[in-house]
Amino acid sequence: MNGKKNKTTFGTVALSLFWLVLVSGVLLAVPYKVESPYLSVSGIMVANPWASLTRNLHYWSAQFFLIFSLIHLYDHFHYKERIGIKKGIAWRLSLGVLIIFMAMLTGFLLKGDADSLQARQILETLSARIPFIGQLLAYSLLGKTGDFQLIYVHHIATFTVFITIVMVEHSRRFWPSAAEFLLTTISVLAVSYLFSAPLHDNLNPTVKGPWYFVGFQEILHWLSHPEWSLLLFLAILVLIYLVNAEKGKLVFISKRSLLVVTAFYFLLTITGLFFRGERWTWILPGESNYNYSVLHNFKSPRVNFSPDFESQGTFNSPVVFGRKESCLSCHTETHGFVDSHKPEVIGCFSCHGGDPFATGKKQSHRKMILIPGNLATAQQTCGTTQCHPEIVERVPTGLMSTLSGMISVDRFVFNEQENPDILTDVHQLGNSAADEHLKNLCVRCHLGNPKMELGVINESSRGGGCLACHLNYSAEAEQLLTDSGKNIHQFHPSVSLKVTNNHCFGCHSRSGRISTNYEGWHETTLEANEMPDSSNYRLVEGTRVFTQQPEDVHHKAGMECIDCHHSYELMGDGKHYAHEEDQQDVQCIDCHIDGTPNTIAASDLDNESALIAALRFGNINNRRLLITQKHDHALINTSFENDSLFLFTKNTGIKMELKAPAIVCTRNNAHQHLACSACHSAWAPSCIGCHNTYDENEPGYDMIRNEEKIGSWVEYIGRYTAKEPALGTRTIDGNREVIPVIPGMILTIDKKSYPNAKGDSVIFHRLFAPAAPHTTSASGRDCISCHNNPVALGFGEGELTYHVEPEKGKWTFNPKYEDDPHDNLPGDAWTGFMQNRNGVVSTRTNVQPFDIEQQQKILTVGACLHCHDQKSNLMLNTLDNFNALIQKRSSRCVLPEWVNE
Amino acid sequence: MERVSRRTFLQLAMTITAGLFVALWNKLAQNQLKQDEQRTRIFPFNKNKTVIFADNFIIINQEDSTTVLSAHCTHLGCKINETENGKLICPCHGSEYDLSGNVLKGPAYKSLPQLQARISDDGNQIEIQG
Repeated sequence: MNGKKNKTTFGTVALSLFWLVLVSGVLLAVPYKVESPYLSVSGIMVANPWASLTRNLHYWSAQFFLIFSLIHLYDHFHYKERIGIKKGIAWRLSLGVLIIFMAMLTGFLLKGDADSLQARQILETLSARIPFIGQLLAYSLLGKTGDFQLIYVHHIATFTVFITIVMVEHSRRFWPSAAEFLLTTISVLAVSYLFSAPLHDNLNPTVKGPWYFVGFQEILHWLSHPEWSLLLFLAILVLIYLVNAEKGKLVFISKRSLLVVTAFYFLLTITGLFFRGERWTWILPGESNYNYSVLHNFKSPRVNFSPDFESQGTFNSPVVFGRKESCLSCHTETHGFVDSHKPEVIGCFSCHGGDPFATGKKQSHRKMILIPGNLATAQQTCGTTQCHPEIVERVPTGLMSTLSGMISVDRFVFNEQENPDILTDVHQLGNSAADEHLKNLCVRCHLGNPKMELGVINESSRGGGCLACHLNYSAEAEQLLTDSGKNIHQFHPSVSLKVTNNHCFGCHSRSGRISTNYEGWHETTLEANEMPDSSNYRLVEGTRVFTQQPEDVHHKAGMECIDCHHSYELMGDGKHYAHEEDQQDVQCIDCHIDGTPNTIAASDLDNESALIAALRFGNINNRRLLITQKHDHALINTSFENDSLFLFTKNTGIKMELKAPAIVCTRNNAHQHLACSACHSAWAPSCIGCHNTYDENEPGYDMIRNEEKIGSWVEYIGRYTAKEPALGTRTIDGNREVIPVIPGMILTIDKKSYPNAKGDSVIFHRLFAPAAPHTTSASGRDCISCHNNPVALGFGEGELTYHVEPEKGKWTFNPKYEDDPHDNLPGDAWTGFMQNRNGVVSTRTNVQPFDIEQQQKILTVGACLHCHDQKSNLMLNTLDNFNALIQKRSSRCVLPEWVNE
Repeated sequence: MERVSRRTFLQLAMTITAGLFVALWNKLAQNQLKQDEQRTRIFPFNKNKTVIFADNFIIINQEDSTTVLSAHCTHLGCKINETENGKLICPCHGSEYDLSGNVLKGPAYKSLPQLQARISDDGNQIEIQG
């Protein structure tokens, strides 16, 4: 008998573990605060390593107690034909298994973190659905919502006492053997030192139950009526009872059933632990967010008895999202944030990840995100539920992220796509000639291109997710970056609403060159070493030489890009657009209004606009704000006061009056089809003629992989000019509009130079593109700059002459550039003089050059301007009724040959 | 009258006592439950925010109408705390609801219950009948 008593079994080890649970539990009660469970547990982890060790001891001894108890149970089943316990004891023992689970589950709830709160809801719902007594049982088990007192009482008393009674009754032992207890303690202590008990950071969206219920969570996921799952528990309890109390075949069947259930449950547990991510969706190792969604749950810092900071600092550190963060124990004197991003409010972990509960530098910084805001990790940083999830969801749909227009047009030009308006995405680039061309030369500018190094956003920056627009370095922060060896955390760059022209400049000074145009700079073909030493020249990115041209009138007035462009344009509105003019919302007529403005009360603003307006301008409750005509978005920096309209610059708050358009612009008899920009664009940059070829030996770059490579597309440019843009027509829903256009590409592509290129050899295209030149002048172009200007009409430079002959006049055009052999049109033309041009003519399906009839109409007025001064009353009167004046013309007037009387 | 054995008497007495405790539990818990029952709750209100998560409630503003839904998933009561593409999504088992509370994807099969609510005259607060 003595021999049996002293024999070590799984049961006796479980008894030692139970004692360990009791002792560590009593100790843990000292630092644990039931009124603020999450805060106190995080405080234990961050500021009190000894309490942390105790918590780990409590956790691990409990887990091992559960495991050893279950093995002990199995052991009995395995080695004994018949256990033959008295029915009363057998019943209590079976119930004991359930109570052990309940004790552990309440322990899990007492952490008070995101996992616990959802588990509590599940337990409450399941208990409440037990017939008759459910609601009372749920309430008596868990107490009032948000209160942990009753759970605590059941954990430390009700369940513990029950387990103690059942155990003593079952084993007839109360004390474990000293040797076993010592050995068990040492082993569990070692585990507890190495691995901390889990605590959710409350930001990661994946929530899971305790490991032993993850299999059950999987079962619950299958059931629409999860309350039926409770019968499973009942069935298992009955099976355990039968094994313990019955005899013969019933015991055998019950044992087998339990074994099958256990094996099955084991598989479910593995599934739940390793293959279920956020919202219980399937996830496999190797998927991009596997680490964040799954492995994150196993993050477990080692106890650090000599933390890298004074615990005093931690006591005084702020409570962030209901918890303590160890980050704030070291990073105490960091300045530079805007109010809503201060560490006192959102901590460090919200943006930078890492481990907020580890207390050593290395452990805390493990997997931290040094540069948050890149789109690949934005959901873990800027986009967490408490911060800006709806914006982070939208940004990838916007054109600055997809580059749909750029890619689609490029593929179209390479004859790889039938039309240029197909929706595409930069993440879908392949290896075709066009896609390689894009990767070599174009696609560095999408917002998803990650920012990899610390530092200021400047003219060389491309991409960078949220930071591309919102990152600002103070002088001190910038200085610290360059002073190596100093504490670079003292001054933190701010992430704020202060989006300046410099943020846009890196990407928007290229291709369309909107940023440089706006500031009045035109790119030349000069090399840097050829740049004259004059303030009329500017060097960009160390290589590109720009010369001065008239700046945009809005720039002159002190306005920045964001003074016109609002958050739904820049960060996307959740819809996919093919081209920038589709996503772009603000139009000239939204601010320069003739008639009654379309306004909205500040109190009716959507939440995002209201929040931005409040952050920028404080209380704007009494204002009425303008709304855009195209997509109905509020312009938060406008105000309609006493029949006048005002605009406030967003970064500087300067108030300026918005002027109504001139009368000449708003009369309907002439020019009603002209876009404002057709007249008010002072100049636009054009590049005429360019040749593209692939050079297998050229050192190049893959802008998607961000790595250097050999072999690249090379672009040989023609000539850059800055002049009043050509005009063309754009048709939307049957409405025709005259818009400025620039040579999108008059180019040749030597496609056969690209390995494995199919089909074409040398491609020639003469395509113009719709332009938003951003070179607005207050006064529009004059009459002859369109009506008598071959460039405006799309013929290219040359002599456009009106020959007055008896009876009929005749227009002739003598081009400056020779005809291109590919299509026999002058080198810089979009269309031929008195010719129709159809088919592939522009980078959009809805943009065309003027046809013969339109050319004739324009030149008919041009004929009048041949003799009459454009400012004469007569010419001004033609704006009211041109045809009537023609009828009344003098006998000396000679009309072009195509005018029929 | 038949004599009852001491054993039977004690068993009977114990059963009655246990029953009394159950009755006591029932009474005290019922009373306490009534006291703790969520009554009216008041939250700050912003009619321009489409979805507001406020403790146990989701306040939805759509086209000039405001609906208040329970934030507890009808599957197992988990608190719904995020939206994606205009859908309310439960973090525990991925049930999805539209903004009217109708189930779009299981395991849940019941709609989120709508709750009575009143918006204050100045439009800054909402009173929800829990």
